[in-house]
Amino acid sequence: MVQHFFKLIWNKRGSHALLIIEILAAFLVLFGVMGLISYEVNNYLKPIGFKYEQVWLVNINYQDLPDSLKLIELERMKTRILDYPQVAAAGLSSGNTPFSNNQSNSDVSYKKTAAGRVDVFSVDEQYAQVMTMPVESGKWFGNEEMKSGEKTIIINHLLEEKLLGDESALGKKLTYNKESYRVVGVVEHFKQFGEFQAPIPSAFFPYTVQMGWLNSILIKVRPGTDASFEAQMIKELGAMSKGANIEVSYLTDQRKNTNTLILIPVLVLLIISGFLLFNVALGLFGMLNLSIAKRKAEIGLRRALGATRIDISRQFVGEMVVLASFSIALGFVLAIQFPLLKVFNLPADVYIAAILLAIGITYSIVLLCAFYPSREAAKIQPAIALHEG
Amino acid sequence: MLSNYIKIAWKVLLRHPFYTFITLFGITFTLTILLLVISMLDHVFGVHYPEVNRDRSLYVQRIEMYDSTKSFSMYTTPSYAFIKKYVTSLKIPQKVAAICMSGGNTYLRNKRIKLQVIYANADYWDVFQFDFLDGKPFRQNNIDQHDQVAVISEKLGLEYFGSGVEAVGKSIQIENDWFRVIGVAKAVPYTRPFSSADVYLPYNITKSHYQDVGIPGSFVAVLMAPDKTQVKAMQAEYSRMVRQMPLPIEAFGSKYFYFDSHADGYMESFLRSSPMRSVSESGKLYAIGVLLMLLFMSLPALNLVNISISRMMERSSEISIRKAFGAPNKTLMGQFIIENLFLTAIGGGLALICTLLLLQVINNSGWIPFADLTINFRVFAWSLFACLLFGLLSGVYPAYRMSKMNIVSALKA
Repeated sequence: MVQHFFKLIWNKRGSHALLIIEILAAFLVLFGVMGLISYEVNNYLKPIGFKYEQVWLVNINYQDLPDSLKLIELERMKTRILDYPQVAAAGLSSGNTPFSNNQSNSDVSYKKTAAGRVDVFSVDEQYAQVMTMPVESGKWFGNEEMKSGEKTIIINHLLEEKLLGDESALGKKLTYNKESYRVVGVVEHFKQFGEFQAPIPSAFFPYTVQMGWLNSILIKVRPGTDASFEAQMIKELGAMSKGANIEVSYLTDQRKNTNTLILIPVLVLLIISGFLLFNVALGLFGMLNLSIAKRKAEIGLRRALGATRIDISRQFVGEMVVLASFSIALGFVLAIQFPLLKVFNLPADVYIAAILLAIGITYSIVLLCAFYPSREAAKIQPAIALHEG
Repeated sequence: MLSNYIKIAWKVLLRHPFYTFITLFGITFTLTILLLVISMLDHVFGVHYPEVNRDRSLYVQRIEMYDSTKSFSMYTTPSYAFIKKYVTSLKIPQKVAAICMSGGNTYLRNKRIKLQVIYANADYWDVFQFDFLDGKPFRQNNIDQHDQVAVISEKLGLEYFGSGVEAVGKSIQIENDWFRVIGVAKAVPYTRPFSSADVYLPYNITKSHYQDVGIPGSFVAVLMAPDKTQVKAMQAEYSRMVRQMPLPIEAFGSKYFYFDSHADGYMESFLRSSPMRSVSESGKLYAIGVLLMLLFMSLPALNLVNISISRMMERSSEISIRKAFGAPNKTLMGQFIIENLFLTAIGGGLALICTLLLLQVINNSGWIPFADLTINFRVFAWSLFACLLFGLLSGVYPAYRMSKMNIVSALKA
């Protein structure tokens, strides 16, 4: 049966070549779109490792203060902020706070293993409390680490895995910037840019050791705190240090902005490719209708020789499926190169999911388009068809 | 002749409404998307309110500095001091706007209003032509006297003072300082970062860092030439000035021995700070644009080719009779291509209508605040080009196939 379809298609290879290319193009478009979607979904399913609700970000920019004085000023501000009854916790942080546009990365290594790109954060002893970050093993920085000046580091689980495999990193010495740091704790996850970011190895340093570019204070406020407190706080902080530029933003707002920036292109792409596929589906449908009109004599003959209606519609659907399989096989050969060659360095399962989805959707479009015309073909009366032919 | 072809094409269209719908849907959809993209690009990079002098302006968005071994580099925006000392002293630029884009807050009945703030010099109001609903911009004398004055946008005026209230002469508190409102300007779409803001303040208010005495700072300069023809010369003059900068430059406690900066056209000045740097010459950019356009068109075009070829049989008697009477292949091919272009033109017209409707939707949705997307002459010219391209892309091959039709078999059918 299938062999017979092949023969029929082969006989008309000239006109079918374009059709195969069209289905192939549709498949590749689907592969691209599904790849992007499965990448985003894949990221979304991995926990971000912190809580952003009721966290405010205060950015303080001093214009012309040397770093050493800036630090004293910032610590003074933090102490003042902690005095407010509305504030549950407050921590100093380098400018690359969660959902900000800033990013800071470097390399961290253990013995000979290097982790590649690692996001590095300069933080203080309250950071984990502000961000509600669960510590997996060891502990977060305490007063002792902040004050002693010992070179300590806290890493996330992913970095631990990358550097040491299954071994525990606690107490090990890691190399960062040619100096050695002792691991005091491991946190579960940390995705700075939120849900849609791919998990990335992260490392935290006490700001007293690694000052980075310190200009942010993260505040966890108590439930029910509103903008009136914010206005009061900004006024009082502004009065504390003349000449500093103080900006407050909410992490929930920043998260919304970050996610919108990711989701809008995906949405636009989805709409466009949806229309594109609808267009292709209409085209396939029309072409099938036309080709059935052309093959009336053939259908009439088969019916006269005893083929049932089901046989006829099965023939047309079968032909389309074989044709689509050709295209998909070609597309598969192209698409499978992505996971094999590790293009864009994405996990293989993202590509596999994309390929499977693309195959499924291509087949369903083709079947959907073949269904109605082939049923119409089956309705053809042998006598009329033979008479006309 | 031409009218005959078009008449035939029209009859063919009417014969099978369903296929006509499929064809026109494909063309209209494809061209609508292209038109939307083109008008979006025009909105972002074209000459629009209030940046009406874009075609004779150059933008300086950043400076580069390297230390003696070129191992440490710094990319940042220039300072006001740099613009004042080196840029305004250039001969060709008629006006030089210095702009610092920043943020700020104001509080109204315990609610925070987040503000986009632009700090600017007096030339700013000449380089950018704002429409003032009320009042006027600040001038050099305001700046000389350190006046605490502000120009606010229409939107902030409504939000802060309420509608129907005259804002000019009133005071507004931004962060901890009070400013007297002297002008209300028509709002600018957010997609124009150098002119879109809620509040415009004179640059010599402390927060704008204008006191930075070094070369790196937080300003952007816009150089306006007297007319379009002098833009190239102005660019060359700027490059000459950069080469003659006294070195080394001291900044942030280190010495820098290399200095580089460019005055670019609007689009190029953004591309220079992006990974697309190497393609920032406009020739290449257009080539890439057309290539992407072709790629996007290829799937719908393929679809159209397939349908046209399937419908070839409908026309077989017409073709074979014309052939039998001696019409050469070339003439037939020409006829089918013209028919296809006619079809694309209809699709293009529909696409224009669809695009106008969609642009209205986008403008009113607030997706881009104060968007003023329109179809102007530039966009229209591009869309004609897109139509032609699509018509040829989807028409040539089926026309070739039809003209090659075998007379005998066609007559028999």
